[in-house]
Amino acid sequence: MNAPARATRSRYVPPIPAFADAFAAARASLPGKEAPSILDWRQRHFDRFVETGLPTSRVEQWKYTNIARAANVPMALAARPNVGLGDVQRYFTGGPLARRLIFVNGHLASELSHVRGLPRGMRIESLGTLLQDEPDWSARALGGPAEPHSFADLNAAFLQSGAWIELGDGAVLEHPLQLLFLTVGQPAAVMAHPRIVVRLGKEARLHLIETHIGLAEGHCLTNLVGHYELGEKARLVHDRLQLGSAGTSFVGLNRQRLAERAELKQTLATLGGSLVRNETDLHLAGRFVEAQLNGVYMPIGEEHVDNVIRVHHEAPDGHSDQFYKGVMDGRAHAAFAGKIIVHQDAQRTNAFQRNNNLLLSDDAEISSKPELEIYADDVKCSHGATCGELDPTALFYLRSRGLDRAQAESILTFAFAAEVIERFVDPAVRKLARECLVVRTPGGAGLSDLL
Amino acid sequence: MATALETVQDYAAKAYKYGFSTAIESDMAPKGLNEDIVRLISAKKNDPEWLAEWRLEAFRRWLTMEEPTWQKVHYPPIDYQDVHYYAAPKIKERPKSLDEIDPEIRSTYDKLGIPIKEQEILAGVAVDYVWDSVSVATTFRAKLEELGIIFCSVSEAVHDHPELVRKYLGSVVPAGDNFFAALNAAVFTDGSFVYVPKGVRCPMELSTYFRINEMNTGQFERTLIIAEAGSYVSYLEGCTAPQRDENQLHAAVVELIALDDAEIKYSTVQNWYPGNAEGKGGIYNFVTKRGTCRGKRSKISWTQVETGSAITWKYPSCILQGDDSVGEFYSVAVTNNAQQADTGTKMIHIGKRTRSRIVSKGISAGRADQTYRGLVRMQKGAEGARNHTQCDSMLIGDKCGAHTVPYIEIKNRTAQAEHEATTSKISDDQLFYCRSRGIPEEDAVALIVNGFCREVMNELPMEFAVEARKLLGISLEGSVG
Repeated sequence: MNAPARATRSRYVPPIPAFADAFAAARASLPGKEAPSILDWRQRHFDRFVETGLPTSRVEQWKYTNIARAANVPMALAARPNVGLGDVQRYFTGGPLARRLIFVNGHLASELSHVRGLPRGMRIESLGTLLQDEPDWSARALGGPAEPHSFADLNAAFLQSGAWIELGDGAVLEHPLQLLFLTVGQPAAVMAHPRIVVRLGKEARLHLIETHIGLAEGHCLTNLVGHYELGEKARLVHDRLQLGSAGTSFVGLNRQRLAERAELKQTLATLGGSLVRNETDLHLAGRFVEAQLNGVYMPIGEEHVDNVIRVHHEAPDGHSDQFYKGVMDGRAHAAFAGKIIVHQDAQRTNAFQRNNNLLLSDDAEISSKPELEIYADDVKCSHGATCGELDPTALFYLRSRGLDRAQAESILTFAFAAEVIERFVDPAVRKLARECLVVRTPGGAGLSDLL
Repeated sequence: MATALETVQDYAAKAYKYGFSTAIESDMAPKGLNEDIVRLISAKKNDPEWLAEWRLEAFRRWLTMEEPTWQKVHYPPIDYQDVHYYAAPKIKERPKSLDEIDPEIRSTYDKLGIPIKEQEILAGVAVDYVWDSVSVATTFRAKLEELGIIFCSVSEAVHDHPELVRKYLGSVVPAGDNFFAALNAAVFTDGSFVYVPKGVRCPMELSTYFRINEMNTGQFERTLIIAEAGSYVSYLEGCTAPQRDENQLHAAVVELIALDDAEIKYSTVQNWYPGNAEGKGGIYNFVTKRGTCRGKRSKISWTQVETGSAITWKYPSCILQGDDSVGEFYSVAVTNNAQQADTGTKMIHIGKRTRSRIVSKGISAGRADQTYRGLVRMQKGAEGARNHTQCDSMLIGDKCGAHTVPYIEIKNRTAQAEHEATTSKISDDQLFYCRSRGIPEEDAVALIVNGFCREVMNELPMEFAVEARKLLGISLEGSVG
């Protein structure tokens, strides 16, 4: 006798038909609309997105984030509102000589941007322009479908703009390059799908600043995809600051691939946004790679932050270090899932991971999942995760110096998160992040003198 | 004089010394699983109406469930219709005294190094012997009865103490808890039952010895331990199986209940047949173990040494419900050759000031793969709860894997959780040191591994600690050099 077939519950939900409508409507207006190669590229990704569907919390990678709530709703591509220099100037970082690409609701604001006067061997362009002007080349350069990923596929289908950054061998960009993404209010629910492609040749150097500013009140989803290729001995400093607002949601997938002796230093601060999800896929493909990932998240109110990191040690002698801290207040929920994967050949790997969390309210929640997957024996890998309250002895120390309890608590909370903020390389980013941190620290008003 | 190589080969050959099988007449149910088989088992066990119904309900639930695939182990699909769900040594009735036990069964236990009679006299450990599906002997009953402690097989308890069994059976691991627990609930045939009355400190270790003997059978036993307020009991579990080419399924359920101020200590030395060096044969050990600290200040402590089984897949867990209750998990898992293990624990903190401690030591050698998977959850009401987790993995050889997958979910501001994990190989310096003192490499490895596991070994009762240390050495035989 055969056992009756068991019902299989799906881990993905089908996208609502509104996506197909939006795609049909947008095809005719997106860059590269006349080129069959681009249209075909978009269509393939869209088909795969529909086939895959949107992940539910039954998908391990999405265990702690109910993404369907934010993403499986009718959304149109965001229109481009008028934004003047005054609206964006306060978010300028990187110093007076920095070059900037500014995107408003996913559209390039060329009148506010400037990437002129580049030294030889560099190419920094708007992806929208490239798709329009060099469609066949772009379709090839952006690559064929790798494995399915709901949001990366959706991004390809609707890709409207972004940055193409290519530095040839030995090219060094002296001053930082800032990519500023601004989301401003829209009456209806909207979405934007920017993409960043960075290719650094041998010994090239770049300091990239990525700032996401949300000013929207309505529902707005930004779905970012980043591809980073670092050649031999290339060095990338990547400062990422996310200052979303209520209503703005962010889903990001970053893939980085580092060749021999390449170096990456990434620092990420998430200080706002209804739902922020940062997924990082870091591949240490060459020997003697150095990678440092720093992060801090400080959700308040009903905010939700999810950090998913996979570090693949594929070659010997690599060194990776993850350092993430979180402070949760109100009814916020944060999740951290960092995974170190050491492949069989990656002997003499050193991989570390630290995740420290602080809960400030009885309704806040943290889910931490530090993971190790190790197939090589001559390695040093460790991780540590903690969660708790402020250290009572530190509190006592400050109070014995005459501070009241509330003051002592805000100083310690600020200091806890600021440890990561200090790792930003650009001073202007640091300052901007500190200001937002103060606003989010309980009793933070009293701290502003310290800045 | 034998060369070192010969010695190692000798060792490797006898690595699994419990691999024989005993020719004994068995009463077996036909292969396959359907409602009729479940009813047949009910009839064989002379189940009361409610239990028969409970089994059928579990079976119907099982039909609707999916076999889980999230664990990091690989095995060909199991044909659940190709298994005998009932196998019992043919005996007219349960022996009244130990002398009446079938001499074949007795000699088997003798060969396993646990002579039934002798054990009673010398070691002072009360033992329940489970053969394939049924319990064949329980020692020391009279002495325990004087103290009001009930220690018998579950099938006896169903008839002699129905009120207790009915109240607690399935109260920790419900029939529909998971795929294998549901399967177990439908077809479980025997297991041990322990009841320690209020305020009684059980004077001796209670122990169950599991033995799978027949071919094509699965073993589905169910253990239920209840510690009333203020009582204490320490329970040991050991297991072996014959060496066979096909895989056999062992899907047990263990439920522990500790009331106010009670303490249960549960130790396992698991040495099911692990399969041969190529990964052929061996036991699939898919077990659900869970305890609840229902009472205030109660304590449950799991200690496990996992050296056997082709695949080990279990998560002894504690639900810390009572205020100030304590959960502990100490584990050593050794995988060699083609063995796979995905094991860990769950600590669910519900009560105030509950504390838990997790110490997991994993050793992976050969082509083996091993995963620690654990969950620490602090519920909203778990004020001032504490957890400390330590997971260390050791890799021996460059073809094995060691993985750590902890989940930490905190919903209370005042709760504190700490987790740390490391992975490394045996240090060359330590090996060199031992060798320079004239200790052969194999012995040096055993020495270092024993040191690595000491924290856990110290938690084992004396009788088991000695056996466990020996097992560690044997399991890693041939993994270096």
